[in-house]
Amino acid sequence: MENVTFLDVTQMDGTTKTFAIIDRGNGEFTSMPKADYEASTLPSELSTPTTPQAGA
Amino acid sequence: MTVNRHPSTGSAVTVKQWRYTATGGETTLTGTDGFSQSLAYTVGAEEVYVNGVLLERAVDYTATTGTSVVLTNALVAGDIATVMSANAFNVANAIPNSTVTAKGDLIVGNGAASVTNLGVGADGSTLVANSSASTGVSWAGAKTQNVILNSSFDIWQRGTSIATASAYVADRWYGYRTGGNVTFSQQTGSNQFRYACRVQRTAGDTATNTMYMYQSLEIADATPYAGQTVTLSFYARAGANYSATSNGLTVKLVTGTGTTETNRMLVLYTGDTTLISSGVTLTTSLVRYQVTATMGASVTQFCIGFETNPTGAAGAADYFDVTGVQIDLGSVALPYRRYSSTLQGELNACERYYERSTPGVAYGKYGQAYYNNSSSQVVCNVEFKTTKRVIPTSIDYANLRIQQNGIGALGTISAVSINIESTTKLADLTVTIGSGATNTLNPIELMNDNNTAGYLGFSAEL
Repeated sequence: MENVTFLDVTQMDGTTKTFAIIDRGNGEFTSMPKADYEASTLPSELSTPTTPQAGA
Repeated sequence: MTVNRHPSTGSAVTVKQWRYTATGGETTLTGTDGFSQSLAYTVGAEEVYVNGVLLERAVDYTATTGTSVVLTNALVAGDIATVMSANAFNVANAIPNSTVTAKGDLIVGNGAASVTNLGVGADGSTLVANSSASTGVSWAGAKTQNVILNSSFDIWQRGTSIATASAYVADRWYGYRTGGNVTFSQQTGSNQFRYACRVQRTAGDTATNTMYMYQSLEIADATPYAGQTVTLSFYARAGANYSATSNGLTVKLVTGTGTTETNRMLVLYTGDTTLISSGVTLTTSLVRYQVTATMGASVTQFCIGFETNPTGAAGAADYFDVTGVQIDLGSVALPYRRYSSTLQGELNACERYYERSTPGVAYGKYGQAYYNNSSSQVVCNVEFKTTKRVIPTSIDYANLRIQQNGIGALGTISAVSINIESTTKLADLTVTIGSGATNTLNPIELMNDNNTAGYLGFSAEL
């Protein structure tokens, strides 16, 4: 089960950037900007087969 | 007199003889001879005799009309003038020049003792063997590098078996399913393919959601194909329990005209157009399939991919394998080739989009770190092996530690994030730890946490 936390990191220019830290639950982690994380979790089934699969 | 006969036209070769006995004073031979034969000859192929002596053309006579001969010297009564002429004929088994009709046409065999015309190809095209063509050869587009990266699934930096609903799986390939379970894994191939990618529904899964696997190309790689005829080819096979109706697999090529780099699995293209949506019927053997289409003139981006619609409950082998995916210019699939001729070259090409360091040793080091004015944060620099497409924004990692010489491991890492000082060649990371970093000259390092499975990856994917 994934566990997501958000972390503010002060950057060189003094701004604060928020990161999503995704704990995959198996010792693996993914870190990305919060905005990227939110974009990746949007519903996104975009491609549906439009032709029968049988026959070349 | 018959000399020979052409096999197709059947035209006989005959020699006509016209013989005339002079009354005296004639300088023109024409009309009907004493045997009711009208004078007719092929200009340049005639022979004119007087009393059995062959006359010299243009000196002793002029023959330009095909129906009359003008003599230089008049005949004497009793002279016998003879005009011999062969009709136009074809040599046996010769190929008529009318077989070709335009500049650049070629005469090719289309069977035993049979030839036909192969029209000239487009500028820059090459002639290739093609057993499915009636002539055995076809014009193909210029041979270029295969623009599909990791097309034979040699590179799996993220792991060789990935169960996911939406993520990059094999390098450059995005796997997707909205419901149910699916695993993308590297499998042994056959023939010239060392590996294939398996897209498998988990045994017992009853969800029938479509399973997708796509590769989206960068604009710089896709744009050269605008307006071009392309052939998408691939090898595929089905598992023994493959559940798609009629063992079908859908192959697609979708194009766009946008200017923003896009992973088509997550975001539709501007001007999104499904150029190819074709079904093939799989067998349990690895078979090559190919589909041809012509890109729109304004295409700037495209993706290719495979989709399957499972049915019923999944058996133990409800999967399809695919490998050898290739894009060729023209309407012929050329022999398969990777983007790079070497595995290292293919890896480097993939690392433009994603790069994972997996030292494989317990304390494998990634880079030097520095005290960051806080006991709970250090900054670490990691150089990329390959220049990235863009500055990476996503990092994945496992089993890492920050170690300061003389102190030891500095607590547990709670976060790794990438800073704005990063470039396409170097990552500048902030590593957040519990505490313990000190502002001393003791070196600080980012390394594996006494674990050979530790890794650190950077994504610059579409």
